[in-house]
Amino acid sequence: MVDIQEKLKEIGPFVPGAEDDLLICRCEEVTKGEIRKAVHEGIFTVEEMRRYLRNGMGLCQGQTCGRLVKGIMARELKVRPAEIEPATARAPMRPIEMRILAEDGGDRE
Amino acid sequence: MKRYDLIVIGGGPAGLSAATEAAKHGLHPVVFDENARPGGQLFKQIHKFFGSKEHKAKIRGFQIGEELLEEAEKYGVEVCLNAAVIGLYPEKEVTVRIGEEVKHVKGDAVLVATGASENMVTFPGWTLPGVIGAGAAQTMMNLHHVKAGEKILMLGSGNVGLVVSFQLMQAGCEVVALVDAAKRVGGYGVHAAKVARLGVPFYLSHTIVEAEGSDCVTGVTIAQVDEKFQFIEGTKKHFDVDTICMAVGLSPMSQLLMQAGCKMEDTPGGCVPVCDASGATSVPGIYAAGDVSGIEEASSAMIEGRISGAVIAEYLGYITEEGKKARERELEEALEALRKGMFAPENRGKLLEKTEEGIDISMNLLEKGYVAEDEIERYPGVTHMAGVHPVMECTQNIPCNPCQDACAKGCISIGKNITSLPVVVPGAECIGCGMCVASCSGQAIFLVDEESEPGYGTVTLPYEFLPLPEAGEKGIALGRDGTKVCDCEVVSCKSAKAFDHTNLLTIKVPADMTMKARFYKKGAKFCQA
Amino acid sequence: MEKRIMRHPILGDSPERKFVKFTYDGKTLEGYEGEPVAAALRAAGVMTHRYTAKKHEPRGVFCAIGRCTDCVMVVNGKPNVRTCITPLEEGMTVQTQYGASYEGGTTDEAI
Repeated sequence: MVDIQEKLKEIGPFVPGAEDDLLICRCEEVTKGEIRKAVHEGIFTVEEMRRYLRNGMGLCQGQTCGRLVKGIMARELKVRPAEIEPATARAPMRPIEMRILAEDGGDRE
Repeated sequence: MKRYDLIVIGGGPAGLSAATEAAKHGLHPVVFDENARPGGQLFKQIHKFFGSKEHKAKIRGFQIGEELLEEAEKYGVEVCLNAAVIGLYPEKEVTVRIGEEVKHVKGDAVLVATGASENMVTFPGWTLPGVIGAGAAQTMMNLHHVKAGEKILMLGSGNVGLVVSFQLMQAGCEVVALVDAAKRVGGYGVHAAKVARLGVPFYLSHTIVEAEGSDCVTGVTIAQVDEKFQFIEGTKKHFDVDTICMAVGLSPMSQLLMQAGCKMEDTPGGCVPVCDASGATSVPGIYAAGDVSGIEEASSAMIEGRISGAVIAEYLGYITEEGKKARERELEEALEALRKGMFAPENRGKLLEKTEEGIDISMNLLEKGYVAEDEIERYPGVTHMAGVHPVMECTQNIPCNPCQDACAKGCISIGKNITSLPVVVPGAECIGCGMCVASCSGQAIFLVDEESEPGYGTVTLPYEFLPLPEAGEKGIALGRDGTKVCDCEVVSCKSAKAFDHTNLLTIKVPADMTMKARFYKKGAKFCQA
Repeated sequence: MEKRIMRHPILGDSPERKFVKFTYDGKTLEGYEGEPVAAALRAAGVMTHRYTAKKHEPRGVFCAIGRCTDCVMVVNGKPNVRTCITPLEEGMTVQTQYGASYEGGTTDEAI
């Protein structure tokens, strides 16, 4: 388990950057600055980030931004992207209307 | 709950191959694909594939797709379209959305062949309409017959970026520049050379500063980057474009495997399942094949799929272990052949300076997209003799050998190792049939007659554009770098079924230009020299 | 400029298909039956499919294979329809999507 306070000390304070306005998550419109800032607020895993900022939680479910978010977090945390804990993979994996999903009775036949 | 012996998720090259192989051994697999048409990305591939005969070399991707579908049908594979798999569970239960319903099905084995998704890079304006993935460009033009744009900038010099750039030009679009932040071209040199000789400038060590436009793309600015990928002051260049195409790599779409609890590995190439050579993951009965288990070419995905299909057949008791081993050996040999050469997995990211033959690799090709005039003569396919003869500008070790079989007269030799550079066989007589020109997937073979009449010679080149030039037409010959080398006249433009849409265009040029002229443009208005 | 590829050096002539009429933000346009709505729109020169909810920025086709969901529009009154994989039909109503609805619509209607 990472000591959040230790890690926050290690990475230093949030410093605004020139690219902070850049959109990263196209669906939920989350910017690079918001992601970077969230890291300095103690968000170290992709799963937490998704719950915190809603990046990767839109229609495409992170298909486009997943890798980008990981890269930004890794740079901010001064680690390799592979060291960032990935998001949980859960159903539904593809966009589906709640109406249809709600009708799913499971193993009925 | 409906039960299948094998459920295949994804009907692309790997999935279809696996299902067909399994069906051959007596299984009754079902393939779920979320798209309206099967074949994955194969039907967008209109170029001829590399490899040797067993890899379906010199056949165009979409034709390979048709063959695969026919074979799947022949063996009774059930292909279920518009079926989006939304969940995969360790008990090999699959939830799939078909129409207005979520169905639950169970497999004795499940093969995940979901392929990959395109990577993206960000820059101001990257969300504007007109910034698209290279795959989107291919989909629009090769499947839907709609141009991806009029003036396009391509970002990415890997095989996808190079192949799609060429296809954009074939569709009648203009590619204003090919840009890559890397120092060297990432894809096959022959693909780069095809694009460079059309006059597309390569900007290596450059990337996009921003896309311009308020409602859609109207322009783009690029700039040179240093070793740390930081922009270098004063190097900005602007292009008027309506489309920016991104071809910056692929990532495996492995989420279903992760959900099923398969052991995963985070690699620089993306998150992939830990699996053995047959694609077996850490969860018994769940397999992975194709790009989802690591990005490669469609040719290798098809073989990987077949290996998994055979292994699953044995796992479920349809074939004996000996039967499986024999089939595996045969397929693995074919796969190994594809994984050799300069672009082999173990050479990724390395700068090779010599070919397997010990010849210096063209640095100009890596940095500008074409082999320089003072480099070309050192390759064994480039020789001089009286009369018509092949000139093979094949300068990198890639797994490909159709040219060797194409020549009925035995003029071309590659040998057993299919990554070797083609050699002109001394003494063999070229009859100028041009089969080698049409067979070369890299469009790197030319027929040259250095002096067909006093002061003049001819060059026969592969030509896959419309309209076809007519005999007697006047135009300009372009060099390997896409700039004018001389005026020329069209001698003939031959089309034959055996050439499979690679027309053989013969132009007459001054004798001293026969080793320089490598492309043709009608009229003189395209002159860039 | 003609955006459709009528003759292609490898793929040959564009297949014969039936023209159908559909409306785009009230305007009547034509496209081929069965082609993706997005292809018909692009052939007609339409680049912007929607404006985003938060920043009201324009979006259009991005992946063209139903993955990125950037090309969603309101089709026959239903929002969030991926136009790149939805086949065009005679008489379809296609509307630019603003946030999660058509212009002037409310989020409630969208849901």
